[in-house]
Amino acid sequence: MKFQIPIGPQHPALKEPISLRMTVEGEVIKDADIRLGYNHRGVEKVAEERTWVQNIYLTERICGICSHSHSTCYVQGVEKLMEIEPPKRGAYIRYLVSELERVHSHLLWLGVAGHEAGFDSFFMYTWRDREVVMDLLEMISGNRVHYAMNAIGGVRRDLDEGQIKTILDGIKVLRERTEYYLKIGSSEPTFVGRLAGVGYLSKQQAIDFCAVGPTTRASGVGIDVRKDDPHAVYDEVPFEVCTSDLCDVLGRTVVRIMEILESYKICEFLLKNLPAGPVAVKAPKKAKPNEVVSRYEAPRGENIHYIKSNGTEKPERLKVRAPTLGNYRATVEMLKNGFIADIPLIFAAIDPCICCAERTVELVNARSGEETTLRFSQLRALAAERFKKLPVKRNVAWPF
Amino acid sequence: MTDQELVEKLKAGLGPMIVEIANPAQRRIFLTVEAKNLVAAFSVIRKDIGLTFLSTVSGVDLGDSFEILYHLGHDHGNMNVRTRITKAYPHVASICSVIPGAILYEREIQDMFGIVVDGIPDPRPLLLSDDWPAGNHPLRKDWKFERPQEIIPGGKK
Repeated sequence: MKFQIPIGPQHPALKEPISLRMTVEGEVIKDADIRLGYNHRGVEKVAEERTWVQNIYLTERICGICSHSHSTCYVQGVEKLMEIEPPKRGAYIRYLVSELERVHSHLLWLGVAGHEAGFDSFFMYTWRDREVVMDLLEMISGNRVHYAMNAIGGVRRDLDEGQIKTILDGIKVLRERTEYYLKIGSSEPTFVGRLAGVGYLSKQQAIDFCAVGPTTRASGVGIDVRKDDPHAVYDEVPFEVCTSDLCDVLGRTVVRIMEILESYKICEFLLKNLPAGPVAVKAPKKAKPNEVVSRYEAPRGENIHYIKSNGTEKPERLKVRAPTLGNYRATVEMLKNGFIADIPLIFAAIDPCICCAERTVELVNARSGEETTLRFSQLRALAAERFKKLPVKRNVAWPF
Repeated sequence: MTDQELVEKLKAGLGPMIVEIANPAQRRIFLTVEAKNLVAAFSVIRKDIGLTFLSTVSGVDLGDSFEILYHLGHDHGNMNVRTRITKAYPHVASICSVIPGAILYEREIQDMFGIVVDGIPDPRPLLLSDDWPAGNHPLRKDWKFERPQEIIPGGKK
């Protein structure tokens, strides 16, 4: 007996509303189908009618959580087209904001993962501490979400000694707390048991379906644009690429926690070695006809922009591929042979925004054609109920 | 693997299939192949040279032809495969048999440029809505968005 469950597409709190149609047999998902385009804003078309400078603000608004990622990826490509290079100090500040953004995005994700796994105190703790990094970003840029730090040829704001000290103090607090979460996360058998074995994506599948970011690294594939294609400052900064061989949601959690700790190291290195000098150079209005491929490691994975110029002050073509699109094909594989109760967790494991909000799920009974509508909270309650009855997986342990 | 080594490997592996190969910047290689050789070239690139990760597929409208770029990532940078097809016969072969992860990007260029990807496992539209008028492909240069006239039921008061 096969059932079809449509999930989505619309919810005002989602940055990317998507529609998923699951074919289930009993409680087991046999197939999943993805439909996109509900929030397509035609950014690529609009970009062709805007000047190089106007497009910084456009690209910044592609995403809310990783707003700095898109504008940095765009700006570093345009700088190559215009044959200018940002001053050292400007580049250091730009990638400092990148790393702080990664910290806030991963802390947000950790909270969501805790929430979906039914560990709500974890969610409240991580989100409380996310405020520390949000305050630092607000102090640096004046904004909590759209930092507007990038300009073609550098950044728009400088740091003074007092700010550097505040950021270092903030990172110290954050590191202590992150290590504490690592301790409670790894020593809580129900949390580890809930995450282990869910959303399996083998190494071969991760390679075949071209998954990106922490999703791939949790399947044992060590791709990281910061290491493979070190843009700007990353060839000077010492850091490790975090991978895990667990291939499941537990692996993705481990990778993200390790990445937060690496980001603290990068931030401290950038601040302690911050060179003196200007933060920006003046950029020309036009770019010669050329093309450039700009890559950037966003919190969720590789972000790639292909920019083509035609000698005017507007781009000929701007192609944007956000990391989440790269992960959708792999998500379908993760969902297969999983349980309905695991849908929130598997979604949350690739992208924090899809599932942090309440959504409606319709269960269609294929035999009678009856439809039951569930709130997402009810689905989550069902999941919690199911896992209460299961014995704790005693043989799983945190990997280190 | 440096850029130079990869260029040598590509030249050895692909031989006469290469129309042009350029290395305009550090860690960036642009390889041009003819559209009819695309799948053969990708199977060499993936199986013999070992580049497995496809970042995305971009289309560019050049007026009377389309340029399609396949951006591949590897351990030491980025390699791009470029091919051109005419607007009069906008057909390109699907590379999903070699790189299964290409499916969403191929569906995207089908929607946005009206390029027909032959042999694609799933040809449904990806981004455009179900009631999108046929023959409208938003990223073609000659396509302009016209806002439909707003009709207020009962008229304006």
